[in-house]
Formats: sequence, structure tokens, C-alpha cells
Amino acid sequence: MKRREFFKKGTTAAIAAGSVPMIFTSCASTNNIVYDKPKDKWYHLGTGKTGTPNRKPVKNYDVAVIGGGAAGICAAVAAARNGSKIVIIQDRPVLGGNASSEIRVHLNGVNNIKGKAERETGIIEEILLHNRFENEQESFPVFDHVMYDFVVREPNLTLMLNTQAVEAVMEGNKIKSALCWQATTEKMFTINAPIFIDCSGDGLLAATAGAEYRTGREGKAEFNETFAPDEPDGWQMGATLLMSSKDMGKPMTYSPPSYAIKYTHEGASKRRKFAGFQDGIWWIEVGSDDDIIADAEENRHKLMGYLHGVWDYIKNSGKFPEAKNLALDWVGSIPGRRESRRFIGDYIVSERDMTEHKHFEDAVAFGGWSLDEHNPGGIENISEPPSYFHYHFKEVYQFPFRSLYSKNVSNLMFAGRNVSQTHIALSSSRIMATCALQGQAVGTAAAICNKRNMLPREVGQKHIKELQEQLLRDDVFIPKRPANDPLDLARKSSLIFASTSSSGDAKNLLNGMSRDIDGKINHWQSDGLSANVQIEWEAPVSLSKVELKCDSNVKRNIMMRKDSRNDELFNNGVPEEMLKALSIQGRVNGSWVDLGKIEQNRTRLIKFNFNPLKVTAVKVNMTETYGAENAKLFEIRCYT
Amino acid sequence: MINFIKTYLWLLIPFLWMSPNKTDQNAFKTIKHNVVVNHPGEEKPVNTILSEIQNANGLPIEYTMDVYSVICLEEVCKVIPVKLFWDNTGKYQKYELAKGETLEKYEADLFEPEDYIKLQNILADNDSPFKEVYIDEILTVPDEHGNEDVDAISGATALELDEKDTVPGAALTCYTLWHWANGDVVSQIKSQTGKSVTETQLKNFILDSDNTYFHIAINELEVRKLYSKPFIDVIIRKLLEDASLLRPAYKYLNHTSNEDYLNASKTLFFQGQKEQKLVVLQSLRQTQQNIPQLYLDNLSSEVTNLNSYQEVSLLLELMQDKNPNSPKVIENTFLLLDVKFLVARRAFWFLKNQKLNDSQQKQLNSFQEKHKNKL
Repeated sequence: MKRREFFKKGTTAAIAAGSVPMIFTSCASTNNIVYDKPKDKWYHLGTGKTGTPNRKPVKNYDVAVIGGGAAGICAAVAAARNGSKIVIIQDRPVLGGNASSEIRVHLNGVNNIKGKAERETGIIEEILLHNRFENEQESFPVFDHVMYDFVVREPNLTLMLNTQAVEAVMEGNKIKSALCWQATTEKMFTINAPIFIDCSGDGLLAATAGAEYRTGREGKAEFNETFAPDEPDGWQMGATLLMSSKDMGKPMTYSPPSYAIKYTHEGASKRRKFAGFQDGIWWIEVGSDDDIIADAEENRHKLMGYLHGVWDYIKNSGKFPEAKNLALDWVGSIPGRRESRRFIGDYIVSERDMTEHKHFEDAVAFGGWSLDEHNPGGIENISEPPSYFHYHFKEVYQFPFRSLYSKNVSNLMFAGRNVSQTHIALSSSRIMATCALQGQAVGTAAAICNKRNMLPREVGQKHIKELQEQLLRDDVFIPKRPANDPLDLARKSSLIFASTSSSGDAKNLLNGMSRDIDGKINHWQSDGLSANVQIEWEAPVSLSKVELKCDSNVKRNIMMRKDSRNDELFNNGVPEEMLKALSIQGRVNGSWVDLGKIEQNRTRLIKFNFNPLKVTAVKVNMTETYGAENAKLFEIRCYT
Repeated sequence: MINFIKTYLWLLIPFLWMSPNKTDQNAFKTIKHNVVVNHPGEEKPVNTILSEIQNANGLPIEYTMDVYSVICLEEVCKVIPVKLFWDNTGKYQKYELAKGETLEKYEADLFEPEDYIKLQNILADNDSPFKEVYIDEILTVPDEHGNEDVDAISGATALELDEKDTVPGAALTCYTLWHWANGDVVSQIKSQTGKSVTETQLKNFILDSDNTYFHIAINELEVRKLYSKPFIDVIIRKLLEDASLLRPAYKYLNHTSNEDYLNASKTLFFQGQKEQKLVVLQSLRQTQQNIPQLYLDNLSSEVTNLNSYQEVSLLLELMQDKNPNSPKVIENTFLLLDVKFLVARRAFWFLKNQKLNDSQQKQLNSFQEKHKNKL
């Protein structure tokens, strides 16, 4: 490196390391706060020049995703993989939102339906599997980097961390640009895009765009909801501050800090339990009946006080002898939020849509967490149970696309806890893996918007089947919606059979259902390994892609947990059912030709891409799983 | 005092008449086995005694084991001895309580008569939800109705059981007894039954309509290294009736003599259906046993009688691997060129790799010309 270049780069880095407070006052505009005014007095010792730093970059993308939690990541990756040029604007230094090391909530989904999971597949599963391969030690900070890796490796995707979308610039009823403040570089980015997706939870960009939204609880009457209060009110479920402790192998003392709020448990509901307290207590929670966003800092301070108050009770009340050797080894400083703005779409999902399993023609996602409405008041109202757990689902429910785009801002979609739903519906769908499915749906829809030069509502009205088919191809499960892709040549084959079968049937691999559900078997399973499945066509077909869906046991959870639970319901490693080694062959002029081989497969959706070739048959040879005796598949697709 | 005696008798009655020779109690023999059993609720394996009851012929007809039903919720525990009964395949049959003992629920509520019946039904269901329940889920459930749930945040636990699947207030009793009744001991009973029976009884087991006996027998035959023709003949008879047993049976057949292996495979191939034929062909392809050419030529005469593409394809793969260029096989395969196209195309590509005479080559060329766009 030349000496001058060294100084140039070094100086830039030094300047970039500073930051300015993100404070907006009623009389200031963005121009007032951005540090690039002509009166800037920067004297550059390296060059000897007085300069005006450029702090207002303008960037253009096909889609801008606001928020880097589970929903935002899935939205961005889905759009990128489907051909759009994407940016993720994430206001934190790490990805993952509530599941990041900053907050450490388990990335739950449909964890338990009648004793078994009905796990989400698609991108969110890929992330969780990636974590199982890369983070065997189950570290939350490492999970941050696993997600980072998952995102930055996508070629069409730009990640902007420490950047907050603070204001929308409108053109009619469309968002033209998002003004995004990057705290670490003192830059105010102008992000232009034809499609914006707000997955930020609180939805500041969407709110500044003038998108309609509501907060609080609907009254019973509005949506005929059993579990809603009689009259509407402003209550929003609280945010929780977590902690974790460590057994030090010797007695550990604890004295609470000055800001601790004394906790006694007197008069507490018997359902306010301490089970698993060593890994954090979810009911250390404070909400608001007014403006929960404005209250956030006040509530954070309170939560820190309650956290230490409860820990003081555990350590020093004498009621928890098992806590004698425990010491806090991590305490959160950022509460995990459950609820704030809910934006209004063309449809508002409510309680009965879920409990009565309404069928939506535009279903694009599913959920199944219980109606887990936390009590008004949170820890400040301990005589109530911490949650009412109103209703436990016996099967999953659908979530419609019309609830994922704005009613009045035409190029705005959303995914996550800020979507178009009632407070009671939110109590179930707010779970991260459910939000992630919504994210993949809107990301995929955004790519269709780009490709067809249209807005989200039009996709919903005219191209919903295209959206659903793409999601199904990308391994999203949509309840009661089998895939039927006209481009899939496997469906046009004359014969499919397997070398051996111990359960299911090779014909099931073409039935469009990618999991066993509703009492029906939709798989083929070998009897031992190795095994193969063969597809025959009467006339040669030109192929360049073969896509498989193997088994990852969607009936058993795979998310990382603090207790590393490993039993029939939770798995703390790579699912043993998953295929590890396999290859495919095509038959050309009567001979088998190798088309691809994978020795360390890591995903449920397995893709083979090869140069186009005319074949009369395809054979999938499976030789190894991650431990299971048999190979199991759910789908085979073939494309030109 | 609950109406326990009545309930107990109700449970016992069906088994009195279901158990053969039970009236001749003097002919029965009880053998006690020291066993080590794992239970998911216990931290360490448990040393206990498994009692085997044999009839006058030395056939095990029943097993019993004394276990403990632990009712332990919110620091209140009551331990009650329970005797469990299984049949000779390890299938749970019934439970008995020691005289004067009763089962209790949470907060000292007594079992009602219907609770005893429900418990019996739960224990008799080897696919009960208790199979999947984690003991911590039960120990941390506060109200026994499963109305607690997991929050997004921490590791709080969940238990959701329909009322039909549990005795409300006695989930831990159900859990504890279910795992005793349907856990580790089942495989130990199967193994013990195999050890106890005579060779004649093993043959009867092979033909029994309950396939559990087949598995017990085939394992025991391997343990005792019994590979003689009388056993093989009985096995073949069973395999021709039930294709689901082919793979475990072939693990056994692979250890028989070359002659017995080939004869068994031939019988299964010519007399069996598609499933039997496929397993035979796969075995013949993979086996290290010597297969004479004549034997394979003989198999190929069946090619036009095969009903599926898969059978034909596998047969031709076998011939390509172990009997290439056999005039007999070639002759038989030519007959396939006039059947369904997928099969005909498979035959064509097989023949393409064989040494043909001029007439055959001409015939093959004619097929190729006719179907040139579909090959």
C-alpha cells in the first residue's frame, strides 16, 4: 500500500468511528442534523485541505426491507433469491431482533400441536439448520454471526447495520424513498426503491408514510372475538427483559443495584411460575396502555429494576435453595418487544379466523402458537396470571396475503408483529417463526412486483397462485394448499418408483404435499440405505434442475434454546432424519449420466443445477443420512 | 374407601378367560430374572425382577414386574406398589395394586372407579401421548389440566393432553406407569421369550398371525445359529403370505448355505408377487454367494410374466451384472420389445449392450428406427 493511500484510508476510518445522537426536535429537519454543511470546519491534516464531508449518499434498490429480525431476514433473502436487488436496513449492530444476543428470546414457532411440533420450513428452517451446523455450542453471540453469514452470502443483498429508517418521502400514496440514519458513519442515506417492506416491529417508516395503523385492544364486538375485552382500550402487551445465570460451583452472594425494584411475590397468581428461572423469566414484563413506543426508555429502566428485584428475591428470599450457587452471567439491556403498531391491510386477521381455521384463497403463511395474551399490567399486576393462554390450537391456521400489505400506501408491505391483525390474533402470530413465514411471503411477492412492474395488491388479486406456487417451490408450507406447478416436469412423468419402501409411496413425491399432515402420509421412506427413486418419461425431456424435499422432521423443534433441551419435542442438533449424501443421474441414450453429487447436505430443500440435458429418466441415489436408518423424501421436482 | 375391588375385578375378568390353561395353576412355573430397566423418569437404570410364567409345555405365557406408581406433585409424594402384567410378546395386559392400596391424585383426591379404567386404557395404548411427554413438563404444570403454555421468551414448559389421554390430576402416575408398561422392558420380554421356547415352538412362532412372534423367532434362530431346511421352509411359507417380513428374513437367509439360499430365492421369485420378486432380485444382485449361469437363465424365462417396469428393470440389471451376453436371456428379453413402451425401451437398451446375432440385430435396429424420437 502506498503511504498516501494508507493515510487516506486511516483518516476515513477514524472519522467514521464517531456518531451523533439520533435526536429529532420539532423545529429541526434532517438537513439540520446531518454533518455535511458548507460551514463544516474540517481541516484534514493528511491532505492539508478544508473539506465538506459527503454524508448524504443516495442508493437505489429493487426492494428495501426495514428490519433485520426473523421476518426481515426472510423477506430480504426471499426477494434476493427470486431475482431482486435488496437492501436490509437494520437499526441494531446485529441481526436477529428478539432472537439476537441482545435480547435472547427463543425463536419459537408452532412448537406444540397435540404434543408435536408442526415446524416452519423454507428460509427460517434454513437459518435454524445453519445454526445447528455452525453453532454446536449454542451461543447467542455466535448465532448473531450465523445470521450475518446467512444474509451477506446472498449475492443480490446489501446489509446496512446500525441504520434506522426514520422517515418516508412520499410521492402520492407511494413511498418514494426512505431516509435512513446510519449511526456509526453519520450518514443520512436516501434509499430509493419501488417496493418497501417494513419488518421493523414498531414500523416507524410505515407510520411516517401515513400508513393506517392502530394500537391497543379491540372490543369484543368489532370482530366478534371471544377473548377480547368488552370495550376497546389502549393496552399493549409488554416488553420483557431477560437474563441468564451460571452455576459457579460454589455459593454466590448477590446484592441488588440501586435501581432494583423490590419484588416479594406476595399476592401473585399461582400461575406466575419460576420454572427455568436460571435462563430468564418471561413475565418480567412491562407494557403500556397509551404510547408504548414513547414509553420505551422509561419501561426499560423499570424492567432493569424489576429484573434485579426478582433475582434478589430468588437469591435472597431463602425460597430457592437451588439458586445458591447461581450468579447472573448475562443481563439484557434491551427489552424484547411484543406489541406496538399494527398496520391496516386489505384484511384484518382476527381471533375467529384462527380458531375456526378460516380458509383463505390467498393464504401464504401459517401459525399455531396458542392465543397467548399476556396480562394487562405485566409484572405491575402480579395477581393476574402472566398470560391467559386463551386457546390451544389443535391444528395450524392460515395467514392471508391481504393482511401483509398496506391498505393506503400502495407500495408498502409488512411482516412480523406489525401486520394487519387484531390484538388477540397478534397474541398467537407474533411468534418469530410465524413472522418469518410472513417475511418470506412478502419478499417473494416483492420479487413478483419487480418482475411484473406492479404493486402488492395487484399481486394478491391477479397473481396469488404464482406467489403461492413460488413459496411452495421454495419449501414454504401452506396448510391445505398442495403445490401444482405447471412447470414441474416430474408431474408429467409416466412412472415413479423406489428401490425399497418401508412406509409411504414414491407416488406421494408428486402429490404436492411436502409434509405428513391432517392424518395423511405424503412421504416415501426407504427400507435401509442406500436407496434410490427413479422417474421415467415416455419421451425425452430437457432438464437443468432437480429439486428435492427431504425429511428434517418437522414434528420436532430445532431452534436453539438456553437449556439445550433434547428430547422427543426438541432437538439440540442436526436432525438425524436429514439426508447427508446423495447424487442424481439422468439417463441419456440408455446410459446413466451423473448430474450432481452432494456429500454434506445441510438443507431440507436440496437443489441440483446442471447444464441442460435431454433425459428419459432421472434417478436420485441416497446413501447417507445424519443418523437415521432410512431415507425419507417428500417431493421431487424437475425443471427445464 | 373407593370402590376399588369392583374396579379391580372388572379389569381382571377379561384376562381370566383369555389366558389358556390358567385353570391348571399347578402346571405353571414362575422363573425370576434379574433385569436392568431404563425409565425416562429415573436418572439411573433400575435393577428389578421380571417374573416369567411358563405353562406346562414350558411356553412363556405371561410376565409380571412390581413397580412403583409415584404420585408426586408440589412436594407431596405418595409411593404405591403396582404389579404390571405382559403377554409373552411384551404387550401390556393389566395392572394390579397391592391389597388395600388405592391410587390418589393431586391434593389427595382418590381415584374414582372410572379413573382406574381410564388408566388401564392409557397403559394399553402403546402409542399414548405419554410416549412423547417429557417428565419436566408434568412436574412443572401447575394445574394438571395442561392450561399452562410456553412463552416466547424462556424455557417455561408445556403440557397439553386431552382429557381422554390422561387421568386429570394424575398425569405423573400415568406417565410413570406408561413408561414401565411400554418401555425398555418390552424388548427384554421378547428376548426372554425367544430364549425360553423350544425349536418346535419357534416354528409355530414363525407362522403365527401376529408378526411379533416372527421377529422373536428369527432373532432367536440367528442367536442359536439354526439355519436348517425345516426352519427355512417354514420361513418361506410365511414370506409368501406376508411381504412385509422379507427384509428381516433375508438377513437370516443370507447366512444359510449356498444351496439353501438359492432354493429359497428361487421359490420366492417364482411363487411370490411383485414385492417378493423385487427383494429376491435385489438380494441376488448384492449377494456374495455364487450364482450359476443356468440359475440366472432360468430366472430370465419369467421376464414376460413380470408385471411392472421395476421388476423387469431390476432383472435386466441383474443379468447385465452377473450373466451378460447369455443367449437364453437375450432370447427372452426380445419378447419384451412388443409390450408397453417403457418396458420395451428398457429391454432395447439392455439388448443394445449384448452380443446379438444378425437377425436379432436387425430386429433391434427396426425397433430403434421406429422409436427414434423416444429413446
